[in-house]
This record gives sequence, C-alpha cells and structure tokens, in this order.
Amino acid sequence: MLSPYRVLDLTTDRGLLCGQVLGDMGADVIKIEPPGGSPARRLGPFFKDERNPNASLYWWAYNRNKRSVTLDIERDEGRELLRKLASGAHFFVESFNPGFLAERGLGYSHLSAINPALIYVSITPFGQDGPKASYADSDLVILAAGGPLILTGDEDRPPVRCTVPQAYAHASADAAVGALVAHHERVRSGLGQQVDVAAQQSVAMATQSGILGAAVGAADSHRMAGGIKAGPLEIPLVWPARDGYVSLLFLFGSALGVFTRKLMQYLCEQKLCDEATRDKDWIGYGELLATGKEPLAEFNRVKGIVRAFTRSHTKAELLQLALERGFLIAPITTTAEVVDSPQLAAREYWQPVEHPELGRAFRYPGAFAKFSASPLRYRRRPPLVGEHNREIYGGELGIGDGQLAALARKGII
Amino acid sequence: MANERPLGEVKILDFMWVMAGPAATRMLADYGATVVRIESPTRIDTARTLGPFRNNQPAPDASGLFNNCNAGKLGITLDLGNPSAKEVVADLVRWADVVTEAFSPKAMRAWGYDYEQLRRIKPDLIMLSTCLMGQTGPHAKIAGFGSMAAAISGFHNLTGWPDRAPSGPFGAYTDYIAPKFTAMAILAALEYRRRTGQGQYIDQSQAESSLHFLSPALLDYTANGRVDDRAGNTDPDFAPHGAYPCAGEDRWVAIVCRSDEDWRRLSELMKRAELGADARFATARERLKRRDELDSIVGAWTRGLEPREAEALVQSRGIAAYEVQNSAEAYTDPQLRYRGHFVELPHPVYGKTTVEGARAKLSRTPAEVRTAGPTLGQHNQFVFEKILGYNEERISELVAAGVLG
Repeated sequence: MLSPYRVLDLTTDRGLLCGQVLGDMGADVIKIEPPGGSPARRLGPFFKDERNPNASLYWWAYNRNKRSVTLDIERDEGRELLRKLASGAHFFVESFNPGFLAERGLGYSHLSAINPALIYVSITPFGQDGPKASYADSDLVILAAGGPLILTGDEDRPPVRCTVPQAYAHASADAAVGALVAHHERVRSGLGQQVDVAAQQSVAMATQSGILGAAVGAADSHRMAGGIKAGPLEIPLVWPARDGYVSLLFLFGSALGVFTRKLMQYLCEQKLCDEATRDKDWIGYGELLATGKEPLAEFNRVKGIVRAFTRSHTKAELLQLALERGFLIAPITTTAEVVDSPQLAAREYWQPVEHPELGRAFRYPGAFAKFSASPLRYRRRPPLVGEHNREIYGGELGIGDGQLAALARKGII
Repeated sequence: MANERPLGEVKILDFMWVMAGPAATRMLADYGATVVRIESPTRIDTARTLGPFRNNQPAPDASGLFNNCNAGKLGITLDLGNPSAKEVVADLVRWADVVTEAFSPKAMRAWGYDYEQLRRIKPDLIMLSTCLMGQTGPHAKIAGFGSMAAAISGFHNLTGWPDRAPSGPFGAYTDYIAPKFTAMAILAALEYRRRTGQGQYIDQSQAESSLHFLSPALLDYTANGRVDDRAGNTDPDFAPHGAYPCAGEDRWVAIVCRSDEDWRRLSELMKRAELGADARFATARERLKRRDELDSIVGAWTRGLEPREAEALVQSRGIAAYEVQNSAEAYTDPQLRYRGHFVELPHPVYGKTTVEGARAKLSRTPAEVRTAGPTLGQHNQFVFEKILGYNEERISELVAAGVLG
C-alpha cells in the first residue's frame, strides 16, 4: 500500500513501532543508527541472553521490514549524508528531545527547505512545546503523567504498570496515523508538514475516557486488584479458575446486564443458585445497589456463587462455556499460551522470519490486520547494525567504495 | 463538506459501536472525514451506558466515553432489521468510501451487509470489520469487550504483583490499542485505492493488533522459550523505579533513575548524599539487587511531599518523575493544558461537554474537534436530506415504516 514511499527512521525506543508499521504496510524504511548501533539495541530481553546489539529482542520486536545504515549526526559529513537522504524521502520519523535536531541544523524548518513535501514526524514524551516539554521521562513516568497508572493495580499497593513497556508503543501508533493523515493531505497540496505526538497524551487513551472525569463532574474510579472500584462497589474482573484465572464481566445495565442474566440462568440450571437469585433484576442491579435497595452483603453473596463456579472449572472449560452460551468469560493467558493459541494458529497469525546469520527462523507476531487486496508482508528481518550501508550509500547515493571506506575510517558511518 | 481539511473528502459509513471501533473513526473525524455513525434505535450503544457521566448522573447523552469516542460524527438511527432499511443502507454505501463495522462476526452477513454484498453496490468499496478475535477461527465468536481480549492476549498476566493474582491493565485495554491500527489500516487502504482503483476488505482482530504491544515478551518465548511474568514496578535496567507515596490519600509520584548519575543526584536531593557514595548503591547492578531497600528510602522521602512538589524537585535535577495523576490533577496539569488536551464543546442536551483533543498535532493542517458525540438520531434529517438527497415524502415514508425507530 505504501510501497512508493521512503521513510527515514531516526527514532530510539521511543518511536520504533511507527516506522515498523509503515514498513509492514509496504513503505521502504531506512533505519538510521549512530555508528555502533542504536541505543535501543541495548534493551532486553536478549536472544540466548547474549548482550550484543544484534541479539536484542526488543530491537527485533520493532525493526522488521527496515534496512539499516549508520551515520553520525554529530559530525558535518554525517549531517550532509542525512540531508542527501532526506531530499529523496517522503517521511522522516524522529524521537529526540525537542530542539535536539534543530540545534544540529536538522529540524523541520531545515529539512523542509530542502524537501518541502517531507512529512516530519516527531515523537516525544510530552510534546514539542509546553512548560514540561523538556522533562526527563521513562515508560512508568509517562503512564503516571497521562492517567492510566493511578487506575492500575491493587488498592493496597502502589499503582503498577505492565511489565512490557507500553507508553511509546501508544505514541508510535498515533504517530503512524498522524503521518498517514498528513500524507493524505500532501497528495492534494504537494506539501509536507510536521506531525508532533506526545506520549503523555497518547497513553491518556488508556484511561477509557476516565481522564475526563473532573472536566465533566464525574467521580474517578479507583484501582482494585483485578477489578473496578466505584464508590463502595467492588466489581471483580479477574476470577479464579481451577488452573489459573479468567476475566469475567459480571456487570449490569441495559447493555451488559443481559449477559449477567444469561450467566445466572445457567448457574441456576446447574443448581449453583436458587431461582430468587437467578431472577434478580440484573439490568437495574447497579441502581439497586447504588440506592441501597440491594444490600452489599447480598451482592457479596452472589459474587461468592460466581466465584465458586469459576473456581471449579479450568480456563479451557470456561472458555468453551463462553463460546457455547455467549458468556463474557476469557482466560487470562501466559505468553506461552498466547503463542500456542489454537485461534491464532487457525488464522495463521505467527509469521516465521528467517535470520540467516543465526541459521534459523523465529515466529513473530503477524499482520496487525488481514487486507484482502494488499496483505501485509514481512519482507525483511530486523537489520544488523549498518547492514545496508553499502547498498544505500553506494548503490543509491552513488558514493564510491573509496569514499565509503574513508567515512567508515573517520567513524562517520 | 469542506474540502480543505486533511481528510475533507473522505466519507465513512460507520456501523461501529462501543469503544474500539468508534474511537478509530473519531480519529479520522478529527481531521475532517465525514463520518455517518449508525445507531440502533432500540439496542443502546454500550458506550452510552458507561461513565464518566456528567455530574455522575447516568444518561445516554451524558456519557463522557460516548462523547469522546464519537465527537465530530453525524449520528443517525436505523433499524437494520427492518426490510425498508435496506435501500437506505444501499444509498449510504454508494455515498461512502469506507464502511466500518464492529459487530461480532456474522451479524453483517445476517443483515445482508457483508463485504460480498456491499461491493456489488460499490465495487471499489473499502470495508473494515473489527472484533475481538477476528472474523474466523475457533474463538471468533467470543462475545465481549476489550478487557477480555486483553486477558486472552496476555496483558493481564503481565500486569500486577508476582505474589498475587494479576491486577490486569485498567478496563478494556485492547480497546485503547486497536483503534490506532484501525485508523492506519483505513488510511493505507485509501492510499492503495487512490493509486490502483481497487477497494478491499480488512479483517481486524483487536487481539492480533494489540499483540504488537507485547512483541518483546512474545519473542522472548518464541526465541528463548522463556515465559515472562508480571513483576510489579520493577524494571530490568533501572532502580529506583516505582510509584512512591506522597502526602494525602492515594497520592503518588513516579520516579525513575535511569543512570548511576541520576541516583547520585537523587541522593543529594533527598539530603542523603552518603547513599550516592555508597558502593552498595553505586551501580545499577548493585541497586537492582537492593530494590526494596531503595524503595523504602525513596518512599520515606516522598511521603512528606505533595506529589507535584516532589515531581518538580526531582525533575529539577534532570531525573524522570511525574505526579501519578488522577483526572482532577490531569485537568489542571499545565502540560496537558498547554497541549490543548481538554476540548470543551457545545452539547445539545447539557449545554457543554469536554472531550480529549486529537493526538497528532499537524503543523499546517491541524485537527479540529468541532462537535460532541451526536444524540440519538440527531442528524437524521441532515443526512437524509443533504447527503442522500431524500425529499420530505421519502423521509416520511421511512418514519412511517419505522426504519428510524
């Protein structure tokens, strides 16, 4: 879909996913790394736990469908090479602190002067401007700033994050959307522009609009171990199974109460609850609890019945029941169970990617969507450091072998 | 239908509902796409039943979630089960570039609105279906919401404390990821159609899109055979790394030392310079071994401070920190303010409402969020008259046939 277009990817771990998804959709993505390799290559986990720049699984995760060249932007000759590449590129994606590239003559104003059609995408923790734009950042700190962290975790412990960093994945995906919107506009106007994405704002999406609470005069929800706490109400979302946990929505109201009614009918059939319990008003149950017409102790008794039910089945049994009867139950899976999922196998999700230098292929998460006319293809494994220097500098920019060797000697590439 | 906005000429017929789907077309509406959102006159959109509600009073048009996911769209009601709806849908499909839907698989087919049917009406149509697990496979029919897709995709198991049951991410986590992929898929398919004249069908599994946010852990299993687990707030490289208690109830500041130098400066700031010099804490490797001890030291210092005060002090030394913000704190956060994150809009029922701003700032053709989410059937007249060119007689027929509810 994007095969006519070239992307220069100067990002660190803050932005790698952006170039990758553009590459998945067909763009020619050139990863530009400092000599010695991108700092993101130092992030674990590592293949066979060997800490070397070509064995970072973090790097593998976000750099397929890219070629790699090395280039030192701290040196004039490096900057000159970058300007040459930028003059023929369609997208430029970077994630340096605000002002960093501009100070080196590589800001949007500099590159748009060379190439007015260039779309220049900047991914930063807090945005290009504003009172905290130059704040130091990390995944956890951005999740704190953007709202999801306070909502996540157990009520008696500090707010907690997902072990796999999330903040910049959110920002990078938003940046890819922004880049394509700008591209769409460029088709008409012939002009590029800067696309400025702040990870803080991107992760606010993960509050489920809860970040609007104060603005609309609503109370915040509070984190609760595996569930939601709204006022005195504790609604679990994580329930025990015989061999682990499941997610089960035991909720009320006109949309969700229907599913609870269905579940309670089944529990009654199974003689796990009496008819009076089955026949409670599950649509209006939230209201009954809120007004005290239904005592909390009774709600807790019912939750006990549901818990006894989930605890007496395995995750697989509960999933089967959910499929057969339309309950809102899903197993809580480990990464191993995800990779071995029959659903993902049936859809041929996992993509084997050959790493010839290691003599084997590895299964990667597959296409993010199935396109009937232009399916996503994994054309290249993540590149080794500077793997395509000769191909791109020599073959495409026409720099001779002698000059390339000199650039390498000087540490420019 | 102004054409000067970035997506000014893009027309989307949107059958999506709840959160993951509508959040995606909202992104496109921000940049000028005309989105006609169809709602059932009888089966309420679940998003309308979820908070945050204006002044805590639940009502269909009071949902901050619904308004946020549907700002900038035109809303019409159509009873899709009514045979007379068929012609209206056909006219809308002829008008649209893109049809989107987020029902569980087979629903569109049951109505006769699957891709094979609709492409007969419009051969170069782009149609996108998004649901939890995708259109095919043994689990395709799992009914449900993003919290379940998050559980089945591994996010829950990786979020929480190792000595306890998983906490799971907040709410319907894959609903916060999938829309970004939905939006880029639509934009790329439009680009492909522009160059080739060809439309297509896109089958999006919200789980499959979201798994890209777990890629490092998934590769750790496929390449190393290692099954990662939740690990609280510990980080493999950094310590201290956590949310630390501040003065008041449930108030916290997140602090992360990304280098040995960060730790030395934090020690000085805490007036514990001796710790910065202590060999037991001098390197990341040593600090990682003594995480719990560090967490108590840092927590003892933050406990007496206001979160924003702690944030400012720590950031003044160049160390990563931020108040762990709730909605009130986010609403007054000078950075979010500066970035225009909160956008106040007029609302037909409540006078005004607030939604979140667009995420990507385009320097030359910025996003504009102009209207709140539509009330039920708010734009029936406008869409039928101005977009489909129906006369009063035709509209009255539809009303009489009960198509609009």
